[in-house]
Amino acid sequence: MKNNLKNTIKIFHGPQHPGITGNMSVELDLLGETIKRAQTHVGYLHRGFEKLVERRTVVQAFTIVCRICVPEPDPNEENFARAVENLAGLEISEKAKYIRTMVLEMQRLATMFLWMGGQAGSIGLGLIPQWSVCDRDYMLDLFEELTGGRVYHMYAFPGGVRRDLPEGFLDKLSDLLDYYEKRIIVYNNTFFDNVIFKKRAIGVGVVNRDEVLKNGYVGQTMRACGIQKDVRKDMPYLMYDKLDFDIPIQQDGDVYARAIVRRDEMLQSIRILRQIIKQMPKEGDILQKIPKHRKFKLPADDTYVQTESARGAMSYYMAGDGSEKIRRMQVRGPSLVHAYTLLEKLLVDSELADVAMTMNSLGICPPEIER
Amino acid sequence: MAIDVKGVLSPLSAIGTLFEHPRTLTYPEVKKDIPIGYRGFHINNLETCVGCASCEEICMNDAIDMIHPDKEYNVKNTSGCIPRIDYGRCCWCSLCTDVCPPGSLKLDNICTHADCDPDNFLYMPKNHKNIGEEAS
Repeated sequence: MKNNLKNTIKIFHGPQHPGITGNMSVELDLLGETIKRAQTHVGYLHRGFEKLVERRTVVQAFTIVCRICVPEPDPNEENFARAVENLAGLEISEKAKYIRTMVLEMQRLATMFLWMGGQAGSIGLGLIPQWSVCDRDYMLDLFEELTGGRVYHMYAFPGGVRRDLPEGFLDKLSDLLDYYEKRIIVYNNTFFDNVIFKKRAIGVGVVNRDEVLKNGYVGQTMRACGIQKDVRKDMPYLMYDKLDFDIPIQQDGDVYARAIVRRDEMLQSIRILRQIIKQMPKEGDILQKIPKHRKFKLPADDTYVQTESARGAMSYYMAGDGSEKIRRMQVRGPSLVHAYTLLEKLLVDSELADVAMTMNSLGICPPEIER
Repeated sequence: MAIDVKGVLSPLSAIGTLFEHPRTLTYPEVKKDIPIGYRGFHINNLETCVGCASCEEICMNDAIDMIHPDKEYNVKNTSGCIPRIDYGRCCWCSLCTDVCPPGSLKLDNICTHADCDPDNFLYMPKNHKNIGEEAS
């Protein structure tokens, strides 16, 4: 190792850097433009979500979990709500299940647009981020109408959802999906087929298929290596077992393969949302009656739930102790392994200019590491 | 080495967008419509608020204080207090409005407040009735 680092210079990529996906940094030892060693540093953002949850009642705790990942709060809300429902023995109505599934897929699309902006921006394609953030905003407008909030929705509540669909909401969603289908063709022409992106991304950040299985990499990192796994298919929750969709895969395992998997997943999300619009029940309770917040006690039991977020499997372990507070909640998101074990390996012998691109392609969200 | 002709030419289709109408709004001349259900500032119907402090109890950020108003609005308000919100702490989760027994506390879709004085972020929810008069 010492010989490797001879004559290198050390720079910190982040935490204040546009190419970093949040408040974290990567310490790089460079020989010219080539990275000889990379080490991830977190600790700029510690907010202690898991501990905060233990000090609040179940109802109060539900508003914190969405903050675990800013670009993608809904899988956290879904996991929390489902874990509490499992422990408290709550059964939610079919309509609430459909609405929650719809919200998760809407969130997936919004997250993908934000990722596309970051991925294109990291290689200097400045036009794509401006377009994709605008397109994401149209989805946030719908979230605003449905939940009352643009980013932190605080919508999926133990027992169902907090509000019913506004009048004409599904028509607006259908119109937006029509628009997105046309936009994905435009993004294909300008970004995914762009020779600059191909030249930069093909063969960079290649993940080995064996390492995926050994280290537990998830999401597009796994599917871009040809492993067809998805929580929505393997352990169906909500209404996913009644919806028809495919799991896109690629074989090369590089940055470009992960981008193509994400693009195909956007099309699958549109396909799922169209089915939900058709199947959405007209009638049904949206929220089961639950005890008042001081009387809402969880039994002394534990549960484990998983949701497929737009970046991979997101899991919650939750234990109750018979009181109105949660005894322990543990969050396991895709970012921890991707930012530590994987990113540090992928960056060795790559170029300095590829750091931001590789990091974006792994879907790393620092608050999720420091939960 | 073969040239990726499609990869070179297809991004040029972006030139077509030069002739499209801009998507951004010319703020402040044109403002965005805020939907009815948006979680903005609090409003309170002081004639039905009973001063029970349920909102204060459920708020996990300790953003709500029960304070004495300048006059009595509701004879059934046994504590004589009404909620005041600290917008330095509030996260607009709307749990306070969910638990309000008479349903007097609500969130409005007004969401813009700018002031140099930090004390003015200790916000007294506007009375429902007054807001109705302003609208008319």
